[in-house]
Amino acid sequence: MMVADTLLQIREVTKRFGGLAALKDVSFDVTVGEIKAMIGPNGAGKTTMFDVLTGILHPTAGDVMLKGESIVGLRPDQITAMGMIRTFQTIQLFEGMTALENVMVGCHCRTACGFASSGLRQPAARREEKDIREKSMDVLKDVGLATRAGEIGTNLPYGQQRMLELARALASEPDIILLDEPAAGLNQYETGELAGLLVRFRERGLTILIVEHDMGLVMQISDEIVVLDYGEIIARGAPQDVQNDPRVIEAYLGIEA
Amino acid sequence: MDKQLARLPDAESRNYRTLAISTAFILLIPVWARFIPGDVLHIDIVNVMVLAGIYACVVVGLNLLVGYAGQISLGHAAFFGIGAYTTAILCTRIHGFPTWLGVLAGTALSGAIGWLVGKPVLRLKGHYLAMATLGLGEIAFILFQQLKWLTGGTVGILNIPPLSMFGLKFDTDLKLYFVVWIIVMALMLLSINLIRSRVGRGLRALHSSEVAADAMGVNTSTYKVQVFVLSAAFAGLGGALFAHFQKYVNPESFVLAISIMFITMVVVGGMGNIWGGLIGVLLLTFLPPVIQALPQWLPGLPSGLQNFSNYELVLYGLLLILFMMFLPKGVADGLGRAADFTEVRARRLGDRRKAKRLEGR
Ligand SMILES: Nc1ncnc2c1ncn2[C@@H]1O[C@H](COP(=O)(O)OP(=O)(O)OP(=O)(O)O)[C@@H](O)[C@H]1O
Ligand SMILES: [Mg+2]
Repeated sequence: MMVADTLLQIREVTKRFGGLAALKDVSFDVTVGEIKAMIGPNGAGKTTMFDVLTGILHPTAGDVMLKGESIVGLRPDQITAMGMIRTFQTIQLFEGMTALENVMVGCHCRTACGFASSGLRQPAARREEKDIREKSMDVLKDVGLATRAGEIGTNLPYGQQRMLELARALASEPDIILLDEPAAGLNQYETGELAGLLVRFRERGLTILIVEHDMGLVMQISDEIVVLDYGEIIARGAPQDVQNDPRVIEAYLGIEA
Repeated sequence: MDKQLARLPDAESRNYRTLAISTAFILLIPVWARFIPGDVLHIDIVNVMVLAGIYACVVVGLNLLVGYAGQISLGHAAFFGIGAYTTAILCTRIHGFPTWLGVLAGTALSGAIGWLVGKPVLRLKGHYLAMATLGLGEIAFILFQQLKWLTGGTVGILNIPPLSMFGLKFDTDLKLYFVVWIIVMALMLLSINLIRSRVGRGLRALHSSEVAADAMGVNTSTYKVQVFVLSAAFAGLGGALFAHFQKYVNPESFVLAISIMFITMVVVGGMGNIWGGLIGVLLLTFLPPVIQALPQWLPGLPSGLQNFSNYELVLYGLLLILFMMFLPKGVADGLGRAADFTEVRARRLGDRRKAKRLEGR
């Protein structure tokens, strides 16, 4: 594979919390346009990896490169501006904001008006505000939430809240999106919708790194799977290979395969 | 969905309409206040309203910081004091120093000091931030008292000239009234613009969850400092106006109780509700003069009541606890809910009548 196609490079990342190593020397790449899944039992370190990738946590050792540039030490908003954004395992919608406003926050890194121009409502600020509103509305339409635009985000049904989080992340025009258990709490129908949506976004050029416990979904959409256990990669490869890997079965079932 | 798009800017224009109406209303107060002679109410309405306008400058900014961005400050009397002392010193030490320039200098210096202390202090969260800002207020108070060569110590600075601008001298309460309230309304306009903008959404987002706001691309640490600076500058502006209103300053006006009073105004009126903040200011600024006037309205009240400063802090504390328990979103929200409630009741009553009429047919 050509280096130019590599969007995200994770190089020997280690993260320790005191004595506990949540990630140990983890390395893998994410290629432009692929859907990669990162799976593993509870506590394997998946969310920790997302926190490291998005700048919420700093790695104890190792390096992360996005589009060939190291992003270790950058602030989360800087990484978002570089084109990598995430959703959260526990839904983190903004309280008191409508669905539309939540998505509008997602446009933050693609817009610029600050305190002065916003406070004085200068023409540039008005224009930008209009653009943000229109674009956010388009994104809401994209995920099927247009009719909910004016409702308070946290009042929506659970499945729609997950979709709203997805919409908010998409509004930042990412090159790569990190999804932390996007199907958790969704019913079968909603999971199907989500799968369709992700495949559609991938066709538009979005790269996806997904953490998910719903194996049906993972097997259906991902090109490649990385399996973590106790902070280490224990297997990687195409879905069907990983599915039959004895180490993976052992990790999940806790027995010798 | 296009209906949604059309609906939202509407709410915005309603906000500006409210601002226009309340501006007109407030600017007319001195007119009708003339028909109520001071010896009937025993309250000098215009005088108290000037003070309320001065406090409103502080509270509008503090509401942006506390109510919208969710960052507490228990030390805003410090910035109020910095604004007041700055113009007081400039206008008394330098002969003929333009007072309006003093007010601007007070505003700017207060904002600058807000930036200096805000940068380190705003890394703290929750109780730690509360403690740090509390300390900040106390340090400022001690400096006002101890830097005698600059501030005049406990005596303070006397004979501060009245505010003058464009060749006009605002030497009476009535004249100052208009200046102060026009400034308040300008600050309100600025704040309303800000809240309904990209920046306002960023502030509200970081209030809700700093981690999520960061991850969505909001530079929360910069926003926190910027909104802190803005609130410090607003407080400094209020303080500078206060110096020219009272004509003297001393540390007494910048004690802890004043910081707590500002916070109480925000909480009573409604955190995160710009109009609520204004209601909180009016209620709490009129409280002491009303209490002073009570014995004249109702003879035979216990006399200790009149020494407001004796129990000021206790009262604020009590108000804070009660509001946090029963009306955490303040009077403005309470009024809104009461209106909704009566509307629902009225509708139900209407439905019942309609049903009866249908039965009767
Ligand atoms: N901030 C923290 N401080 C200390 N330990 C932590 C912290 N965050 C995570 N851990 C620990 O690191 C390990 C990995 O946690 P992580 O949340 O990354 O797991 P996960 O793979 O996302 O699990 P799940 O599938 O349950 O979401 C766990 O043992 C967890 O307890
Ligand atoms: Mg997790």
